[in-house]
Amino acid sequence: MAQFEKEIVQAVLIADNNVWNFKPLSDEGSTALLPLVNVSMLDYALIALNRSGVEEVFVYASLYLQEIRDHIKEGIATYASWSFKMTVHMIGGEGCRCFGDAMRDLDAKALIRRNFILMGADTVTNADLRPVLEQHKRMAKFDRGTAATLVLKECAINVRTGNELLIAVDKQNSRLHYHQRLRMNHKEPRYQIPLDIFLGNSCTALHHNLLDPQIAIGSPSMLSLFSDNFDFQTRDDFVRGLLINEELLDSRIYVALLPATQYAHKVNNWPAYQLVSRDIINRWAYPLVPDMGVLKLQQQYVFHKDNIYKSLEAHVSKVALRENVVIHAGSHVEAGTVIRDTVIGENCRIGRHCQLSNVFLMANVTIQDNCRLEHCVVGDRAVIEAECDVSAGCVVGANCVLPRKTKLAKTLVTSTPNTQRKTEQEQDYETVELEAIGPQAYIVSDITTGDPDDSEGEELLPQQTLCIPKMGDLMLPLDEISNFSDLSDISDDDEGSRAVTPLPDDTNIFLSEVIDSLSRGFRERSNPDFLILEINSSRYAYNMSLKEVNFNVVKAVFGMQHIVEPANNNVLAAIGAAFKQLGPVVSNYIKSEEAMLDCLKALEDVYEENPFVREKISQIVHYLYDKDFVSEDAIHAWYCQLGGEEHFQLRQSLVKLVDWLNQSSEEDDNDET
Amino acid sequence: MTNSEFQAVVLAAGRGTRLPEVLGDAPKCLLPVGPFPLLWYPLNMLQQHNFSEVIVVVLEQEKLEIQLALENTPLKLKVDYATIPSDSDFGTADSLRYIYDKIKSDFLVVSCDIVSNVSLYPLINKFREHDAALALLLFKSGFESDVVMPGPKTKHKPERDVIGVHSATQRLAFLTAASDCEDTLNIQRHLLKNKGQLDVYSRLLDAHIYVLKKWVINYLHRKENISTFKGEFLPHLIKKQHAKRAAKAIQDTTSEVGLVTKLEDNVLHYVPHTALDQKITQTSLFNQSLSHVPYHGDVVRCYAVQAPKDAIGVRVNSTLSFLAINRKLASIWNEMCGEAHPLIAAGALVKSTQTKDIIAADNAKLSEKTSLNYSVFGPNCVINPKNIVSNSLVMSNAIVEEGCNIDNCIVGHRAHVKKGSVLKNCIIGPNYVVDEGTKSQAMHLSNADQYMEIDIQ
Repeated sequence: MAQFEKEIVQAVLIADNNVWNFKPLSDEGSTALLPLVNVSMLDYALIALNRSGVEEVFVYASLYLQEIRDHIKEGIATYASWSFKMTVHMIGGEGCRCFGDAMRDLDAKALIRRNFILMGADTVTNADLRPVLEQHKRMAKFDRGTAATLVLKECAINVRTGNELLIAVDKQNSRLHYHQRLRMNHKEPRYQIPLDIFLGNSCTALHHNLLDPQIAIGSPSMLSLFSDNFDFQTRDDFVRGLLINEELLDSRIYVALLPATQYAHKVNNWPAYQLVSRDIINRWAYPLVPDMGVLKLQQQYVFHKDNIYKSLEAHVSKVALRENVVIHAGSHVEAGTVIRDTVIGENCRIGRHCQLSNVFLMANVTIQDNCRLEHCVVGDRAVIEAECDVSAGCVVGANCVLPRKTKLAKTLVTSTPNTQRKTEQEQDYETVELEAIGPQAYIVSDITTGDPDDSEGEELLPQQTLCIPKMGDLMLPLDEISNFSDLSDISDDDEGSRAVTPLPDDTNIFLSEVIDSLSRGFRERSNPDFLILEINSSRYAYNMSLKEVNFNVVKAVFGMQHIVEPANNNVLAAIGAAFKQLGPVVSNYIKSEEAMLDCLKALEDVYEENPFVREKISQIVHYLYDKDFVSEDAIHAWYCQLGGEEHFQLRQSLVKLVDWLNQSSEEDDNDET
Repeated sequence: MTNSEFQAVVLAAGRGTRLPEVLGDAPKCLLPVGPFPLLWYPLNMLQQHNFSEVIVVVLEQEKLEIQLALENTPLKLKVDYATIPSDSDFGTADSLRYIYDKIKSDFLVVSCDIVSNVSLYPLINKFREHDAALALLLFKSGFESDVVMPGPKTKHKPERDVIGVHSATQRLAFLTAASDCEDTLNIQRHLLKNKGQLDVYSRLLDAHIYVLKKWVINYLHRKENISTFKGEFLPHLIKKQHAKRAAKAIQDTTSEVGLVTKLEDNVLHYVPHTALDQKITQTSLFNQSLSHVPYHGDVVRCYAVQAPKDAIGVRVNSTLSFLAINRKLASIWNEMCGEAHPLIAAGALVKSTQTKDIIAADNAKLSEKTSLNYSVFGPNCVINPKNIVSNSLVMSNAIVEEGCNIDNCIVGHRAHVKKGSVLKNCIIGPNYVVDEGTKSQAMHLSNADQYMEIDIQ
């Protein structure tokens, strides 16, 4: 009776995909089990699949396999809503290091027989995926090479959480032709899209406002494509590989947009965590909202106005709950505390006269009196002692104890004194001592924590300092943004207009060649001697005088992409990194007093062009002085030359430095006498 | 002035560099398309939209010839000829700048090579509705796709535009020729900023019908280094959509067009921006979104309107499209012009009984015992008996002797095809005599050297 056998809808959930971004909490447990408004992320994903009519789910995990298995067992035992009509299997293993490995493993096990839903365990959605699945099946009938359908959702343009995409789709059959992940840190001034895409299709739609919630419908061929192409590590690799080798692999990807009424978002880092929490509390993800009892089938919260969800077993008296607050059972909040936009987990204790805004407390957290917390996450059983000030995207790991009167901003705190990291040269692990701020609180520097799995870093420059995205104010005022971009538009416009582009003369070509050489040398860490050789040959090719070479080499160092657009606008770190690598090249040219003056002149030019340099000019000059690139006399000579109105600003910024130089030299003189 | 809201300008001073084979020494705008010269079609279109006066820009030396040709056509329009010097090398923008003082109101610019039956009202209404600076019309291309180019096989690569249109509002985001781009298309971020989705078309044809605000010509007048309209000025204007009024200019509410004291290069100095306009914007209930000012505060707005799918539109700017329109004209004539104009001119002598979809001009002599299909016969041409002519164009004063078979050919002015010739996919140049019994395929037969033909004075 095979024809009466109903077709089972299968789904694959990939857990632990974004471990690095959730440091330090990801060191202590699976990110899939991280509670989001007091329900773990895995549960949201399972509920979403259940609502879409999925009957068989494979949860794939590697690192915290046992924990997740226990969680699922417990869910089935306690009749979690997703356990009805849906079987959940756990698979995974130690050997699995990336998304691609998981897919290959699934292919080897031959568990998937039909089109399946592929989702990350960190996706929150209330969408019904059945229509999309049907669309995929229709498309697969029509086009045998259909490998996958990506499910995307429209979003606001102003907020970037790293999930935003620019895609080009054929308007007639919504086939994907171009896929670019938008960068988080700064916005691209322009997009470069291959012309063939547009010429090959009569109408191509460019979507710029789309968000990738990491949902896809896969054909069985998707898994075998992963097996055939062992270099596919992430889903993005898969998409990119298919777009490039479309004819070779004979596979195509299609796109489906979710309707405006359905919610979907991926929680891949702390800003997204904050955003999705807010959306859940504001009921955009309905029915996945706290008071619906979606997971446990029992009412856990009472819903009050202004989106306040309060458990009946929470003790909250004489407390100002402003808006968007969730308080779980067993929590105590003392009098005089003000709370807004906050989620409080089980059995938390909050003292008197605290201020909590945009705070996410896990279970059993203690916050003592007179604390101010803003935009932060506090892990299980952590204690924040009285009069602490924690703000701007701090994450306090489980079991931490923050001593009295600690002030923290933008830091990650863990309770264990050392962490492991991979060194860049050797592949083995090295233990790093962490800076302590208390007996059970150590600062994790997220810049030193290299991201070993970061394969999306391709678009970033390799040397760009990576750091974990932090929470902050999500809603920048609209006007501010638009005004800012308008200003840049006008300047763009003027640059782009005709007759402004000067013909490249030899000096400019020379400069751009030096920039190319240096950037490449910097990226590939090549021997400075070779770079000097390269620059010298360019020099003779364009017949540059020594003076011009000195000037342009310095200008080129500052003209490198990662200094012009520094990561996190931290230009000093970028310059430090550049000089560390390229210092020998610069000092090869900047030897005499005169050359130093050329060097400073070049800096003067850069000062005009780069706003980041403008802000930090005195520190930069100081840095160059410290590293012996320029001498004190050269700085004095240069400073004296800066006259007139146009250099007023520059003089102003240098006054302090020059004074300090004078003083120190006087001291030296005194010492000698 | 019965239609004072818009003036119309037809640019007819083109030299037809892309169809040298068929041009001979006649002006491009007098190329025969069916019974009428090419220029008649845009003029007729304007007339049907109730224009009573049209400015036609022509080269000085060609003015008389054009005037004479148009007098023979049933046009009721009052044509105002604006001549540009014959020896100058004017681009389209230069021509417009030259007739600057004739433009007194918002205006239409129409190229002389558009043959279309499209209604311009949707375009004009879009322009009115959004107080736009520019509205342009886009056709589906591919009219000539099924026509084989006669003459030696060459790689015919049609020019294509890449056009970005915001799908929800039909705002034009960019328009560039595909040949101007290298391998990649650069899209500025601000083009996408306020628009989630941008549709990029590559197979649409710019009809070269533009509706423009009066101030645009003032601005063009100022921009003296711009020489072509489509190639340079249009992209420039489209780009200027994102220009924003500087903060201090906002207070300057009284400045009006023409009264601007310092003629700066900034486009916004030309946009009329009176106190009344501001009041209207402020009090208007109309808005596309709740959180933004209308049009995101853009003052210059350009729109692209797509012609309905069944509309006919073709630009006769290459030999291929010239042949295509002539071959197909008879079958689409009713849709184009209705019954108003007969396809067989009164003075034509048609004795042939086997004809299908042919057009014959005055004094064309089509003898008996011939089979003539899908072809056009120019004035005074002679087709002798026992001939088969199909899919071809026989131009004025050409003679085809007995026993010829002509398929998909262009027979030039005063050319002479002698007895028994079999020609397929050929171009026969003006005054060329095809010898008796010639059998040719895919050839370009002409008297002059190839180089001489591209003589564009």
